[in-house]
Formats: sequence, structure tokens, C-alpha cells
Amino acid sequence: MPRIIGNPKKSFVTGNETAAWACLVAGADMMFGYPITPQNEIMHYWTRLAPKHGRGFLQTEDELSAGFTVCGSVQCGKKAFTATAGPGNVLMQEPFGMAEAMRLPLLAIIQQRGGPSSGTVVYSQQEVTLTTFGGNGEGMRIVYSTASHQEIYDYTIKGFNVAWKYRFPVFILGDGYQAKMREPLEMYDPEDRGIEMIKPYPLIGLEGKISAGREPQHLCNIYSLEEELYEVVMKVAAEYEALEDTIVEYDEKYCNDADIIIVSHGVVSRAADDAVKALRAQGIKAGYFRPITLRPYPRKQLRAAIAKSGAKKLLIAESAYGQLDRLTKQEIFGENVKIENLFKPGVGIIDYDIISKVKSVL
Amino acid sequence: MSLIRIALAGEGGQGVQSVAEILAEAAYNNNQQALYIPNFGLEQRGGVSIAFIQFSDVRIGAPKFHKADVVVALSERAVSRTSVYSGPETLFVYDSGFKVSPDELPREAKKIIGIPAIETANKELHPRVFNIIIMGAVIGLTKVVSFEAAKDALESKLAYKFEKNPSLRELNFKALEIGKQMGEKALQEGGAQNA
Repeated sequence: MPRIIGNPKKSFVTGNETAAWACLVAGADMMFGYPITPQNEIMHYWTRLAPKHGRGFLQTEDELSAGFTVCGSVQCGKKAFTATAGPGNVLMQEPFGMAEAMRLPLLAIIQQRGGPSSGTVVYSQQEVTLTTFGGNGEGMRIVYSTASHQEIYDYTIKGFNVAWKYRFPVFILGDGYQAKMREPLEMYDPEDRGIEMIKPYPLIGLEGKISAGREPQHLCNIYSLEEELYEVVMKVAAEYEALEDTIVEYDEKYCNDADIIIVSHGVVSRAADDAVKALRAQGIKAGYFRPITLRPYPRKQLRAAIAKSGAKKLLIAESAYGQLDRLTKQEIFGENVKIENLFKPGVGIIDYDIISKVKSVL
Repeated sequence: MSLIRIALAGEGGQGVQSVAEILAEAAYNNNQQALYIPNFGLEQRGGVSIAFIQFSDVRIGAPKFHKADVVVALSERAVSRTSVYSGPETLFVYDSGFKVSPDELPREAKKIIGIPAIETANKELHPRVFNIIIMGAVIGLTKVVSFEAAKDALESKLAYKFEKNPSLRELNFKALEIGKQMGEKALQEGGAQNA
């Protein structure tokens, strides 16, 4: 693949611009999308960049169609992606479910906005449940929750490889703040960092004959028999669970002796990081734990952090009313630790909010 | 430099977001950490436009903040809209030509500063560079970026306009200089009034 960036380039850009560049350097062939704030500029930048690099774009009639065209495109061996938010993410659950069912290497960038319904066009972390466990399936998805432009860039590149290697749909879960803010980013060509991009490959129209030299593909999203479906779902679940240790990512700081561990994800983890440093400076033993993958969740690592610290409390901070909270509780069920929360659905959380909350519960 | 938080607010078309972007880029080009985010809610359509900018030596945390170090209100409506961002340590700046009643001004502020930016722009320069005077005032008040860095950032942002009409360059730089002096003077004078 030709190098696009050349020498690593520093820039001061929005998260949406970052995402478009990341898809470009990752070798994406095609974007299908439908406009919705706050992800619009991913489409805008992509449509500016794509023609110069021989890539494609199609604005479909709605998000259902955008999701399904990605499903079709990846089956033809094209590295395709989409981006959406809020009600668009709701509509895309149908095609995302198909990607789970057929093990399609789909990549979607989600820039969360406020909800329910049209909510706000601004920001939230209220699409966690939807992105991790949306659809009528079992949540066989890989979800990276980013916290900076550098991570949007890095995990989008990584996400394409993870999708095409393991064939589970991959989600880059950002939010309206990350989408719209400008901050420094270093862009690079993946090859220059020793990252080999997996070449896309067709899933249909393959060479050879079934039973004479090649196995059938079984790209199927509907079954006649209950037992057939059962067998497939159990097989997929086993494969997903076997991958967990390979896929899981997290960040942990100051947990060795923490009395309270602050659990947060995405952009809120930046405030948590600052809060923990400030609390430590005041002699309060606070720890920091951030799941980077929300699916699969780093549950072993969080359990280990609780065990080694002997923390009596967790504080779960999120810009939603308990979505990370529910996710975390189900993953660490049985731990003897009191769970406090700081829920601010649809608005930002700053270090001051977390510091005040910690002081009020310790 | 420790963290400095600035909120700029005004009417759509006043160039609030452009000034914020130029300031943030000037800092970024000088190897400082900078983060800029516009408000982009529905209230922006016909409402007050606000830009949140932060400057630091180290990585910046949350993109928004509750209280700013400096709030600049570029319109009468923006004064009451932004008083929520003013706390005991905030320099609250507005145009001394605004007709605002005392109860519209923030209850909490380190200092409330009125500067004659609109009058100066209209009489001495050009109404269009009002926002550049404000940008200069922010630099004078906070030193978040050097005057030279601000000039460079203006140059790169407005290069295409300067190319067409070189006199605009001088006009903008002059506005920046005047604004900077206004900011510095306001600090030295101990402000127009204390809250």
C-alpha cells in the first residue's frame, strides 16, 4: 500500500478529521454513511480524501441501508466502514446484528450524542449498552472506547486489523466532545510503526467447488432449525471467549494501595486521571481503572486490581445513568466492594466533580 | 505554564470560534498543549456561540470546565449567558460599550473588566477586526501565547485574505497590538471594578 502520511506528521485537528485520516491510512476502500451530528465531519473529510486516493463513498438513504451496504461490501472483499451516532446507532443495530451472525469484518465509528431519542446533538456516554449489547444477539462485538485523538487514530487502524483477523464487528466508541474538539495528534503510516495491515479478502464467490477442495463459507443469518442456531451461537460464543485475553485492553494507575478505585471510560477517564493525581497529592489513596475495551471487558484485570489494592470502594463515573455501572457490575459480580456512582447523563464530567464525589463517600 | 481555561462567547458571525481556533493553534504551534471545543448544541442556532479553550504544559484532561480563568463576552446577551463560567478566580471581560445592568454581571469574579473594543474597532480600525482586538486582549491578560506566535497563527489562518489585500495584514496586526495593550492595561489598573 502506498504511504500516505510519509514522515510522521503532527497536527491540531478534530476527532472526526482524525477518524477519516485513520481509515484512509488503514487502507479502507469504502465508506457508507448517512449524516448525523456529531459524526458528520467523518463523512465530510472522507469525501474530500477518498477521491484523491482511489477510495469510495456512498451516502445511503438511511442508517439501516448504510449498515447493510457495509455488510455487503465486506463480503465482496472490500475494507468498508461506517460512522454514526444516537438514533443512527439504534437503526444500525439490525445490520450490526447481521455482522455478528455472519462474522463480518465490519468497522463502525460511533460518536455518542445525548439520548434517549434525538436527545442532544452534543455529547454523552449513553450509547454504551447499545454499542456493546445492542441487537437481538449476545454482544459478540469488540468495542474500543477511546479517550483522545491519538487513540481514535491508533484504535481505528488496529480495529480494521482486529475485524479482518478475527471476523467480529469492531466499534470505535467516541463521543461528541472527542468528535468536535481540537487537540494534538501524530499521524503516521501503519507500516512505519511495524503494523502490517491485513489485506481484505472476499467471503463469497470463492475459487473452487464446495466438497472439492474448499469448505463452505456458511454466511448465514437465518436458520430453519432451533438446534442449528443453538450450535452456531454456542460455537461463536466459545470462539469469542477464547479471544478475550488477546483482545482485552485496559489502563490502570495507582491501584496497588488504593482505598477507592475510580472506574471510568472514554473521555471521562481523562478527568479521572487528573482527579486521582489531585487526590493523591492531598493524601487520599485513590486508584484509576479504565476499561479500553468495553467488550470484551477487562474483568480479570479489574478483579485483580480490587484484590491487590484491598480497595473497599469503587466509584463508577460516567456521562450516562448507569450504563458502565451495569456493565461493570455484571463483570465483577461477587466482589466484596461497595460501588458508588457519579452519573451525569449527557453532560461532561471534570476532575472537580470526581474529587468532590470521592471526598463525600470516603 | 499551569492550566489556563478561557471561555469566549458572542453572537454567531462575530468570529468567536475563529479567534478560539487561532489562539489554540498558536499555542499548539509553540509546542504547548492546547484543547479547543466549540459548543455546538441547538442553542447555537440563533443563540450565543461559546468556545472553550484550554492551555497547558501537560496533557489536558476534560474538554470542558465549570469555571474559567478568563471569560470574554463579546455581546450583551453573552454577558448573562457566560456568567455561569465565572468564579472567584475569574477575570470577566466584556465591552465597556454594552448596556448591561449590574445584576446581569457575574456574582463571582476576581475582576470584572470593561474594555472599549467595539468603539476602538469602529473609530480607529474597522468593525471587522473587533474579534482580533479581543484576541489581543486575551493575550494581554493571560500571556497564553506570545505576541509573535499569535501573529504567525493569524498569518497562516488569514493568508489567503492577506494575499488578496495586503492592507488587511497591517489592520489585523494593529488590532492585535491594540487589544494586547488593552488587556495589559486592564490588569495594571486593577480592573474597572471588582465584583
